[in-house]
Formats: sequence, C-alpha cells, structure tokens
Amino acid sequence: MSNWKLINTTFIYDGTFDGFLTIVFDVYSNKTLPKQICSKDLYIPNFLDKTLYINTNYEKSKRVFVGIEKNICYEALYNSYNAFLSNEKDKDINILKYLCEGFELGPKINNMLTNSYVYKVISMRKRVLFECHRLKGLLRFVEVQDNLFYASIHPDNNIIEPLGHHFINRLPNQYFIIHDKYRNLCFLYNGQTYEIIDSTNMNIPQFTESEKLYQNLWKAFFKTIAIKERKNPKCQMQYMPKKYWKDLIEMKY
Amino acid sequence: MEILDKLTILADSAKYDASCSSSGSKRKNNTTGIGNGNFAGICHSWGADGRCISLLKILFSNSCIYDCKYCINRSSNSIKRATFTPQEVADLTINFYKRNYIEGLFLSSAVIRSPNYTMEMLIKTVLILRNEYNFNGYIHCKTIPGSDQSLIDKLGKLVDRMSINIELPSNNSLKLLAPQKEKANILQPMSYVSNNIKLNKLDKNKFKPNFVPAGQTTQLIIGATPESDLKILKLSEGLYNKLNLKRVYYSAYISVNNDKNLPMLSSPPLLRENRLYQADWLIRFYGFKANELLDETHPNFNNILDPKCEWALRNIENFPIEINTADYFTLLRVPGIGVISAKKIIRARRTFLLDFQELKKLGIVMKRAKYFITCKGKYYDKVYKFNQSFIETNLIYQERLSIPNKNFEQLSLFDNLSPTKEDTIKCLTGSL
Ligand code: SF4
Repeated sequence: MSNWKLINTTFIYDGTFDGFLTIVFDVYSNKTLPKQICSKDLYIPNFLDKTLYINTNYEKSKRVFVGIEKNICYEALYNSYNAFLSNEKDKDINILKYLCEGFELGPKINNMLTNSYVYKVISMRKRVLFECHRLKGLLRFVEVQDNLFYASIHPDNNIIEPLGHHFINRLPNQYFIIHDKYRNLCFLYNGQTYEIIDSTNMNIPQFTESEKLYQNLWKAFFKTIAIKERKNPKCQMQYMPKKYWKDLIEMKY
Repeated sequence: MEILDKLTILADSAKYDASCSSSGSKRKNNTTGIGNGNFAGICHSWGADGRCISLLKILFSNSCIYDCKYCINRSSNSIKRATFTPQEVADLTINFYKRNYIEGLFLSSAVIRSPNYTMEMLIKTVLILRNEYNFNGYIHCKTIPGSDQSLIDKLGKLVDRMSINIELPSNNSLKLLAPQKEKANILQPMSYVSNNIKLNKLDKNKFKPNFVPAGQTTQLIIGATPESDLKILKLSEGLYNKLNLKRVYYSAYISVNNDKNLPMLSSPPLLRENRLYQADWLIRFYGFKANELLDETHPNFNNILDPKCEWALRNIENFPIEINTADYFTLLRVPGIGVISAKKIIRARRTFLLDFQELKKLGIVMKRAKYFITCKGKYYDKVYKFNQSFIETNLIYQERLSIPNKNFEQLSLFDNLSPTKEDTIKCLTGSL
C-alpha cells in the first residue's frame, strides 16, 4: 500500500456498510487512497474540500464482502463489520486502510497491533462489542400492548442491529420495538421478520396496566437485593455508567 | 400476603448468597419457547453494593426448620416469614425475563417441613417453567442437603447449574455453627452431581437430557470461623480438582445474629474476601497451586499487596523475565500481566521484537510489571536496581498512593471486588 497514490479528495457515501464496501472496491482496484471518507449524514461541507460522491453498488460490495473472508480471514470481516458500527469519526478511513493492507498481507495483518490503523480497528471492534454486550443486559422492555414490548436506548455506537438479533433469538414470539433515540432508528420485530426504520415522527406508546405492577416488583427486588453493609456506589457506577440510567427503570425514582 | 411483600422478604433472605453468575450454558431456544442461555453470561443491573444482578435471586421460603447459628433465617430468629407457591415464582420469572430484567432464576430455599418436601417444591417450580412456559433461560437451583438422590437426579435434568453451599470451611466449624447439617450430607450430593455431570458428558446420545450443563458451585463464608486463608484455599483447590466445581464463591461474613460462637465484626472482611478471589483466580487460570501462594509460615494474604505480587517477591530469583522469549505461563506469572496482555504479547512478538515503547502501545500496564521484566535484555528506565527490597518498597509505596482514604476494607485494588461478575468478562479484564 506504501506506493499507492494519495489524492486530496473526501469520499462521501450513503453511510451503509454496502456503501462503504463499494468504496473499498474502488480504492483497491485503482490503488488510490482518498484523504477522508464520510457518510453523507455526517458530512459538513467545507469550502476547501474536494469531494466525490460514491454510489453504492451491491455487486461490488458483495464481491468485497466475500473477498475479505476468502483472501484475508473471517476475523478481518468480523473486525471490520463491528468496527464499522463505531461512532468514531475516522472509522471509515481506518477500516479502509486495514482492509487494503490486509488484502496484501493476508491473515497476519491481525498480529500487527503496533500498526496504528490495525490497532484502531481492533479497539473500535472491542468497544462496539462491549457496548452491545452491555446493552444486552441493560436494555429494558415495557409492555405497551398485549405481547408488544418497547425499549428505548441511547447507545454511543450504532448497535441496534446486532442487539435486535440477540432478542430475536431470545424472545422469538414476542413482538418488540427497540428505539435508538440518538439516531432516531427503530428495530421492529413482528414475530417473523424485522426491519429498521427511521423513527423521527414516531409516537412513543403508553404502557399497559400490568406493566406498572412488574415495574414496581422489579424496583422492590432491586432495592432489596443490595447488602447495605457492602454499599459501594463507585463500583455500581463503574459497571453501570450514568449515561445509561435514563433508560433503566430501577434507576428512576 | 401480597406478592410484593413476599418478594421483598424472600429476596432479602437470599441476598447473602454471592453466586449470581449466568454463564456456562448454551441452552438453545426453540421456535415456540422463550429464552436461551448465553455462554458468557449477561449482567442486567448492578445493585447499590456494586454486585451484579443477573438472576432473579430469591428463596422459595425462609421458614426454616433448622437453626444454623450464622443464618438470618434460622428458626430461633423472629423475622417475617413467607413462602411462595411454585406458580408465583414461575410467573415472576417469566415476566421479569420478558422485560429483560434478568437472565433467569436462582432459586434457593430454607428447609420447610423436610428436605425432600422442599426439593419437591423446587422441582415443581422448575417444571412449570420448563414445561408449561417452555422457558429455556438460565436456571440455577440450590440442592437441599439431606434430600433423596432421585430428587437430585430429577432437578439436575431441568436446571443449568446446581449448588450446595458448604458455608463453613471445616468440620469443626460446621459442628459448632450448623449442628443439624452434616458434612456428609453436603459432600455426598456434591460428588453425586459431579459424577453425573461426567457421565452425562461421556454419553454420546444426542437426545439425552443435559445434566447440569453449567456445572455446580458452592460458597464458603469468610471470617465467621478461625480457618486460615491457606486452609480455605486448599479446600477450594480440592473442590476444583476432585469434584470439578465450576466456581467456589467466598462471602465475607456479615454479623446478622448474636451468638457466643460467632465473632462480632463491625464490617464484613471484604479485603480478605477479595484476596481469596484473586488467589482463586490464579489457581484456576494461571496455573498456580495453593501451596505456592501460601504456606505454614505465611498462612494468610497480605493487606497491601495482591497474592501475585506477594508470590513474585518471595520468588524473586525467577525474575526478571524476558518479554520476547518467555512462554505463555511464565508471562502470566508476572505481576500486572494478565491473560489478555500475555496473549497480546505473544501475538505481537511474532512479527518483531518488543521493547517497552511497544508494550505501552499494546496497552500493557507497566505499573507493577516494570519491576519484573526485561525487553531485549534491558530493564525499564526507572528501575535501576533489581533486588527484592527495592521492588517491595516501591510496590507498597505505589499501592498506598492509589488508596485515597486508607480505608482498606473498602478498597478495590482488583476491579472485581464483586464476586458476582461474570467469568468471561473477568477473564477479559482481570489482570493480576
Ligand atoms: S438450613 Fe439454610 S436457611 Fe435454614 S438455618 Fe441453616 S443455613 Fe439458614
């Protein structure tokens, strides 16, 4: 990758993983690295920037998707997909470099932890998966209709899709909505299929009668189960940071 | 009695049990069921004491016919008593689970009427969950000492994890404080369960019911009786090696009853509990033996230094260790290098030799490690003397600096003060 051409252009794309893989395809075939990559929603136009909009091409993205696993390794695909969900601004360019270098070096790319973009990609992956794991526990459903459950979340990273899959496996017969309030995204599941939609104009539903009962039971349990002789709010806060409290029934008094 | 009152009474009675882990089960869901196991375990909340809440941890009943001295539920105490019905417990579990409050149920009970009757109630509850609600989430059940083997068998096929708490780490203490329980009544079902788990694993029949797939655990109370750390650790080691236990939990004794045979402690010995967890960890994942960490001349752990630092100082002739050549288990013996760090080092040094700069880039914490290692034959910058007293003085100085109010019982040198944190997560973060 060291002898590739560097161009002073920012690539703009639609923000989807397919869109990103399309860029990877173009960059790798032309051996030209852009200065920056940015999703169109996040891009703030700047008088000095040269930009190029890259249209998502599913044919290309599919080839890259398959190619990563075949020519680098499964771990590389796993790393890039999860890092892609990160909220870091320069995630795209780092994953791009990681993949391009990976195509040249093969699986040994993952050992090169002292290389800055490899390290970056791996730590983004870790942070994303960590938050996802955390929310698998911290998410709270409320029953808004018979067998329809609603949960609001405020995650740092865009983890609604892996999170949704976790709950489909766990509660396959329960209809549910997971609402990412930062991104205005909703994961809807109707017992068979799911979709992710924009929720800017959604009304937040009210909950059922029996719901109140279980919330109170849960709060009572939560209060009782702590041993007062061992009180340790610092430890509690460390595992359950304040930023998640607004969606936690037991932390709202 | 209202369900809310029952829940409050029976959660209050259950809270002293340290175990809360929901890991180790891969139980799959089916299309009509509810719930699945997560192998790594999931924590759902953290209580005001910093312990993770993963399971609905309750007693079925606290109306005990026994009178164990240390226990809040003993028959001679005048406390509020309550007993659930199997249906009530099942409904609570399902409704909490659907709202993602919990990972499953941890059901224990005081002995009501007789050990067998109590066991039958527990089985009935679990049967409703598994068969009527088709619940495939995590269930951890206490076995009641003194109940029939056939009942243990029945329960074992339904749950993910089983436990019998030994509570008191020696026969004498047991006689003194829990006169109605017998050691045999505790150890016998433990080895029975352990054997059955082994046999079940050997059985290649795909359709057999699983038997306690997440293994069995136990709990020891720390500080109610005079046993040394060495004695306790040896007991745990035996339980891991001989009975294949998944976990031994340590629970700092909290004075709930007045009794001439019990010490009056102003606060639970949390630091001691923490040291035992650290040592337990070293035994299970780092290849240490109880004998290496403690011996008759040092039967108890140190207040300031963690067990690994203490061990390293006592065995200073094994150090320094060269980062670029040491094997995995040798790296693990360096204070400050844990499983994750050791793996990172091994992986990174395949491409080139490492020096201190690169170790930092890998995110290896140098605070303790720097005294015990060399990189390409060189010591760390500021470590100009390699001898025991120099290192010891520095380590102790450092530890004291990091404790703001010198309140040793409250400190958390190890970020896993809470015994309830999930194994795997611990594995990821616990570097000693
Ligand atoms: S049998 Fe269990 S519940 Fe009953 S007094 Fe003894 S320890 Fe407590």
